Amino acid sequence: MINNFVFVALFLLGFYAILVKKNLIKMVIGLNIMEGAIFYWFITLTDRGGTIPIVNSSQVVTNLNDPIPQALILTGIVIGASTSSFLLTLIIELNKFTSSTNPDQLGGMIED
Amino acid sequence: MNTSLIVLIIIPLATAFAIPFIDVFSNKARKYLVVLSTFVELFVLIIIILNNYRYILNGTLFLKYYMGNWIPPIGITLGMDMLSLFFSTMITFAMVFIVIYSIGFIGHHEGKYYVLLFLIWSAMQGIILTGDIFNMDVFLELLLITSAPLVAFKRNKEGTEAAIKYMFYGTIGGLFVFIGVVLVYYNLGTLNFADISRNFNSLSFFIKKMISIFFLLGIFIKLGIFPFHFWLSKAHSACPSSVSALLSGVIVKVYVYVFIRLFWNVIGFEVLIENGLDKVILVVALISSIIGHIMALNEDDIKKMLAYSTVANLGMIIAVLTLNTKLAIIAALLHVFGHLLMKVSLFTTTGYLLQFTPGHKLEDFKGVAYKNKLLFVGFVVAVGGMIGLPPMIGFSSKWFILKAFINQDIHWGSIIIIVGSIIAFVYYIRFIIYGFKKTSIGTPDKFRLILSVFYRERVVTDIAIFFAVAVIIAGIFYKFALIPINGAAEMLQNPYIYVETILGG
Repeated sequence: MINNFVFVALFLLGFYAILVKKNLIKMVIGLNIMEGAIFYWFITLTDRGGTIPIVNSSQVVTNLNDPIPQALILTGIVIGASTSSFLLTLIIELNKFTSSTNPDQLGGMIED
Repeated sequence: MNTSLIVLIIIPLATAFAIPFIDVFSNKARKYLVVLSTFVELFVLIIIILNNYRYILNGTLFLKYYMGNWIPPIGITLGMDMLSLFFSTMITFAMVFIVIYSIGFIGHHEGKYYVLLFLIWSAMQGIILTGDIFNMDVFLELLLITSAPLVAFKRNKEGTEAAIKYMFYGTIGGLFVFIGVVLVYYNLGTLNFADISRNFNSLSFFIKKMISIFFLLGIFIKLGIFPFHFWLSKAHSACPSSVSALLSGVIVKVYVYVFIRLFWNVIGFEVLIENGLDKVILVVALISSIIGHIMALNEDDIKKMLAYSTVANLGMIIAVLTLNTKLAIIAALLHVFGHLLMKVSLFTTTGYLLQFTPGHKLEDFKGVAYKNKLLFVGFVVAVGGMIGLPPMIGFSSKWFILKAFINQDIHWGSIIIIVGSIIAFVYYIRFIIYGFKKTSIGTPDKFRLILSVFYRERVVTDIAIFFAVAVIIAGIFYKFALIPINGAAEMLQNPYIYVETILGG
């Protein structure tokens, strides 16, 4: 149960950063916090307290943790890393034109 | 087992990775490679259609491929039913012509451009063919991260801003989809579409609602439906016109496909009905439709106007889909097809016409009709389709949409769509009138030298005119498009066919 609260708190923290912070780099960090919250949540949800795979063929294991979430999260981490690095590249590119990282100077994130 | 499905994904992917190596040796070889692989992809698709034409006519086509021979629900399944076939064919044909258009249109950084274009193509085919929910999520992210550099392709301030917005909104949408995937995996222990669909009704009411809401949020953010439509106009207008055509005409259709696949085959539409979400979607989509039209009316910039028109049309498509009758699904899919043709046609023609104007504004459009009369006629044809004049495809699809609304006794919905068409008439006709206005001083040709990025004018005009002709031809022979659409609607009405065919061996 506490895991769900931690997830919601972290997720909203990241969301808060995106909505409120006036710095594009901080907003990217917020995005990363949201991603991290989901990864944390997924790992804790599917943790049965069993042995961690990979298991030797000679070992007899009754309670084995599901390896699929870990594979999914590895993929998710790769996606998250590439997204945020690309976003940071774009912010550097934007800095050449405006010499600012304030999202409001771009016409804001929510207005047209 | 049908290996050609994986080939459809691999050809663009392999081309994308081959282009940088070929580019080192010669630019000419790269051009030949690009054209060659588009036609190989088209060839593979046509072979699939010809081999199975009997099943397509019956509406019972189903091809599948198990990756690495893992029998489902373990492993990734690729499946092609009538819906996938319809979308895959549409996208392949559109991409072939967009690639050829780009050869004439894009004059700088071509190597990078084609790498991204082919990765987008691969991601779109992957989303359409996959039968695994996490695989779909990965392809969605691939589609996002490969289309964002193309938004910033002009390397100016507007493009970079639009790309940043596009990335933020797209990533947040992707996160919501990922939460949905996490909930599905935690509750059902499976990622296979068919397996989820089989077990989904065993979940509790609350979990079902949460999963539907997260998927809806994710897809609506990526589609640009009403509360999230801010980013779309900027992203679809800040890029070169060939990319605008791709984003606004083709990529949004992939998200419509995701919406249909998830909520008809995987989750099941009755879940939305029992949660009362279908009425919410209907209202939100219709609001999105009318707001898109009004924003387009306010807009002076032609490319932004076209982008807002996309918002409006997507709202219309989603609204019709939620009626969930066979006629409604047919109407929506026909409008997906029609809107693809018309929007690509509009962006390809304006992309050419804008080469003669100093800017994108309404006043800049003065006298542009006299620059290339045939092409301007093509522009008028595409506009007529968007407004819904016969014999263009827009007329038949709007007719079906109105019929679907009236059959369900949702008259206010049909009124909104008619009003939207009238608003569309007003905001499109401005540009036609301005185009025919004679200018006292000849429109300065020096701008053309500055702005011109194309060096093969012939290719650009031919493709633009081809799309305009396609709008008319598709409008007259829309019954041929109804063959796959009927089959797709039939299969969506009976989702258990999908489950049985995937899991049945």
